[in-house]
Amino acid sequence: CAPVYRNHGYAPEDTALAQITVGKDTRDTVAEIVGRPSAAGLLNDEGWYYVQSRYRHFGARRPEEIERQVVAISFTPNGTVENVERFGLEQGKVVPLSRRVTESNIKGVSLIGQLLGNIGQFRADQFIPQEER
Amino acid sequence: QSYSFSNVVIEGSTRVDATTILGFAGIERGAAISAAELNSAYQRLQNSGLFEKIEVVPQGSTLVIRVQEYPTINVISFEGNKRLKDENLAELLQSQSRRAYSPAQAEADAAAITELYATRGRIAATVKPRIIRRSDNRVDLVFDITEGKVVEIERLSFVGNRSFSDRRLRQVLETKQAGILRTFIASDTFIAERIELDKQLLRDFYMSRGYVDFQVLDASAEVTRERDAFFVTFTVQEGQSYDFGQVGVSSEIEGVDPTEFGDLVTIRRGATYSPGVVENNITRMENLALRKGLNFVRFEPRVTKNAQNQTIDLNFVMVRGERVFVERIDIEGNTTTLDEVVRRQFRTVEGDPFNPREVRQSAERIRALGYFGDARVDAQPGSSPDQVIVNVDVEEQPTGSLSFGLSYGVESGAGFNIGFSESNFLGRGQSVGVNVSTGTDSVNSSISFAEPAFLGRDLRFKFSIFYTETNSENSRYDTRNIGISPSIDFPISENGRLELRYKISEDVISDVEGSEASVPGDPDVSSAILREEADRGALITSSVGYSYNYDTRRTGLNPTGGLLLRFSQDFAGLGGDVQYISTNALALAERKVWNEDVTLRAIFEGGAIHMLDDNPSRVTDRFFGNGKIRGFESNGLGPRDLNVSNEDALGGNYFAVARFEADFPLGLPEEYGFTGGAFLDAGSVWSLDNVNGGVDGTDEVDDGFHLRSSIGLSVFWTTPIGPLRFNFAKALVKEDYDEERFFDLTISTKF
Amino acid sequence: CGGGKEEGPPLESFTAEEIYKKGEFELEAQTKPDSAIRYFSEVERLYPYSEWAKRALIMQAFSYHKAKKYEDARGAAQRFLDFYPGDEDAAYAQYLLALSYYDQIDEVGRDQGLTFQALQGLRTVIEDYPESEYARSAILKFDLAFDHLAAKEMEIGRYYLKRGNYTAAINRFRTVVQDFQTTTHTAEALHRLVESYLALGLTDEAQTAGAILGYNYQSSPFYDDSYKLLTGRGLSMEAKGNSWLNQVYRQVIRGEWL
Repeated sequence: CAPVYRNHGYAPEDTALAQITVGKDTRDTVAEIVGRPSAAGLLNDEGWYYVQSRYRHFGARRPEEIERQVVAISFTPNGTVENVERFGLEQGKVVPLSRRVTESNIKGVSLIGQLLGNIGQFRADQFIPQEER
Repeated sequence: QSYSFSNVVIEGSTRVDATTILGFAGIERGAAISAAELNSAYQRLQNSGLFEKIEVVPQGSTLVIRVQEYPTINVISFEGNKRLKDENLAELLQSQSRRAYSPAQAEADAAAITELYATRGRIAATVKPRIIRRSDNRVDLVFDITEGKVVEIERLSFVGNRSFSDRRLRQVLETKQAGILRTFIASDTFIAERIELDKQLLRDFYMSRGYVDFQVLDASAEVTRERDAFFVTFTVQEGQSYDFGQVGVSSEIEGVDPTEFGDLVTIRRGATYSPGVVENNITRMENLALRKGLNFVRFEPRVTKNAQNQTIDLNFVMVRGERVFVERIDIEGNTTTLDEVVRRQFRTVEGDPFNPREVRQSAERIRALGYFGDARVDAQPGSSPDQVIVNVDVEEQPTGSLSFGLSYGVESGAGFNIGFSESNFLGRGQSVGVNVSTGTDSVNSSISFAEPAFLGRDLRFKFSIFYTETNSENSRYDTRNIGISPSIDFPISENGRLELRYKISEDVISDVEGSEASVPGDPDVSSAILREEADRGALITSSVGYSYNYDTRRTGLNPTGGLLLRFSQDFAGLGGDVQYISTNALALAERKVWNEDVTLRAIFEGGAIHMLDDNPSRVTDRFFGNGKIRGFESNGLGPRDLNVSNEDALGGNYFAVARFEADFPLGLPEEYGFTGGAFLDAGSVWSLDNVNGGVDGTDEVDDGFHLRSSIGLSVFWTTPIGPLRFNFAKALVKEDYDEERFFDLTISTKF
Repeated sequence: CGGGKEEGPPLESFTAEEIYKKGEFELEAQTKPDSAIRYFSEVERLYPYSEWAKRALIMQAFSYHKAKKYEDARGAAQRFLDFYPGDEDAAYAQYLLALSYYDQIDEVGRDQGLTFQALQGLRTVIEDYPESEYARSAILKFDLAFDHLAAKEMEIGRYYLKRGNYTAAINRFRTVVQDFQTTTHTAEALHRLVESYLALGLTDEAQTAGAILGYNYQSSPFYDDSYKLLTGRGLSMEAKGNSWLNQVYRQVIRGEWL
């Protein structure tokens, strides 16, 4: 059993981050240097976040995130870079997701409708005997 | 100047209502109307398409609108059309029954029909519209069609081809020269668009043989005076054929070592240059880059042509592509399948770097689901230059099937069969199968369920309950088998999957013919071996098993070849009355050759069952090699008890088979779906625990290894109900007591 | 088996009004509006461009809609709008056109193409015929369809949240908060943002999202969940009913996978 690793997201390397100078660079120059963020803060983009994570898929077990790089670039209200910090998985919290879901009021096709609506596929193995032994 | 009218008089309108005419004219009573508005009212009435003549005449304070209506079309009919039916002609028409008839529209329709005939190659067709007056201003519209003869291409010739003969080049083209079968073959009619396709085919043909500078200078088509035949000539300039010279891989990205990619290159020095091979190598390297998780890497083939020794030096340069991200993945057209079932086929997540190779593989996985007639995945520009929206447009096809059956068995009386199977239950990707049948001679009722993403992971959970009863169909005994079998399978490496299963079942062998062998020479007497096995009554087999599947054909690096290894073992003995180890192994190697038209395949398969306790194996557990060696009836080969009148086939504890196949196109047009194949099978079924057969167990049964082999041709036909395979097989080496079968029709199973 | 359904006398001899009245009678009397449809289309065929043909056309669209034959209902309504744009029934025809899409809107997990078309149809009713009696119910249905679109975004956002792809989830929930504020899903979107930001360790962003949620949706149950999450108390790891088997039942049988 060999684990399979998969990367998601993109976080700039330290070499690229080094070119950003606090207090001078604005959103556009940062976008030039390291590109646009994968996720941004809620209120008018005052925080830019680049997240890159590496997952380990091993057999039947749930894929687990073994490594995460979060680069957070925050901006002062007048738009210049306030702070650049990088932190990893250890700062993330395991959050229990609430199972409450806002019900949508539109009911789709009924159960029977879905079942019978999808009939029509004839497969050859209904007619031709299959011997596997 | 301007007018104002107190009332409006409409003359000449019989069918069209005054309110409708006023509505179109848009003139209110008493309002001040300038001459320009009067004119625009006239225009509006004009392009309503209802009136032949219109006059808008202001008389003092009244406005007179005098109209002469177009007749309305009562019925539209076609005469003289044999090749094209009325329905698909009617679709083209703008004029419709119950609408106003306008001569201009009728002319336009006639032109549309002539255009349709031209695309069918009948450029000599003529269409004339004609009207028949009917009562109260209604009209019948008739299109008189003279189809004329199909115009075929008499001569297809080439100028400037030194390396390949005209005949060889004609085989490459899609357009064919009219031959004796001209009436049946449609591809010899002259269609302009097809000439463009032919130019592309010629270019591919030459490029794949190293003619890098090949050009089609001109493709001209002249019509004979009587407009009944065409002469098509292609003038080409071949240039030189080049071979591969120096081939290497280098990297312009810091921190990426190209040597690992270099080993993947399969181009040999001196081989003829072909873009297909270059593309194939790029695919292999891109696959490796994808697996190593390198983002934004592109392979640029930089070519240096040295004309004097006609070689091309090729250097694959690894270049940092521009940083593009996936903004959103939008899935459309999924009217039954749920969004997540399609979305989970993507390994790319929204916000990830965009990797075209990964998106193409995800599209492959979506199509492999089998729920969609068609699945198109393409990338469209996103909201900012470095973002892309991956758009998935699927077209659903029905995935459920319902089958009813009534049957009447001689001894078992009337019976019925209900079958419901759905491979995309409620659009969740789960597959459900329920099949209940009673009273026929061979019954198999089963319930099966599979959830491909159990607990939201790439973990397939399968569960099936089965009840099968076979009686004396092609063997002289009845069997009954009831059981439950849950299993899970999951990936354990990039190309490997492991399945773990448990199975508990009860097997019964019953009323072996001639069990009470009281009367010697009784016509139907079966082997004593079978009778002993039947006497052991109902046996419970509880087995645990695993099978390891290593398949590189789709996810592997090499796009034109692949390997499939499957090794599975079942250990019976976890409780229950039977203890054995049953092992099955399969190795398949496949390679596409001859620029990917022909597939060569070699399959080695073997199986062994080894009893752990001292009871002999039973016929329900042994192997028969059905479907493994073609050219034999089912249960047609393997050890056989020749000293009893029934000559029962007993199967064997071991089987080993080698099959060598080749699939090749038959040259028929694509849409018929026919491809051909040839095969050579060899192998055998042998070895029994209990060999004393005969009527009363005194005559020994020969259970030695006797090679059987057969050779044959097969025709594959992809039909809407599934891929069928017609096999025509001839046994080469066989035992005299084997039962052969020249032709059989099976479903061409995909491993 | 059975002849065509052309029963009843040939209608050439009747006037347009009589056929129309027969059609109306059939529509009320019978549950299945098929025969009514036949009468209305006969009126249009025999007396095209007459006043009765106009009314028959709109009734034809209505009967098709009642018979759930949405394709034909759309065809008839569109034909009415082409021929009689200025008519006072045009508002009803446009409304019927929008309804034919609206009634076919499917579950959140499926293609929402019809929702878009329904939204466009309803918007034309609201903009072109603001004072007609259909405008009010068109606005109501517009909001419901718009809400359904937000539900689709939420569904995809929850999919990524469950699999731990927090940035993808954040982007989807932010689209809901920014483009779908008026819908009922904004509260949940804000709560999901709190969950995602916390999972990434961006506590101050989580606090901002929680504050907005508290300010605008004080009474929503999502605010309680967020409050517990942010203050780190109360929401235990093993929320009730989350045992392994229960999770399997919910996912495999009920098809919910959160």
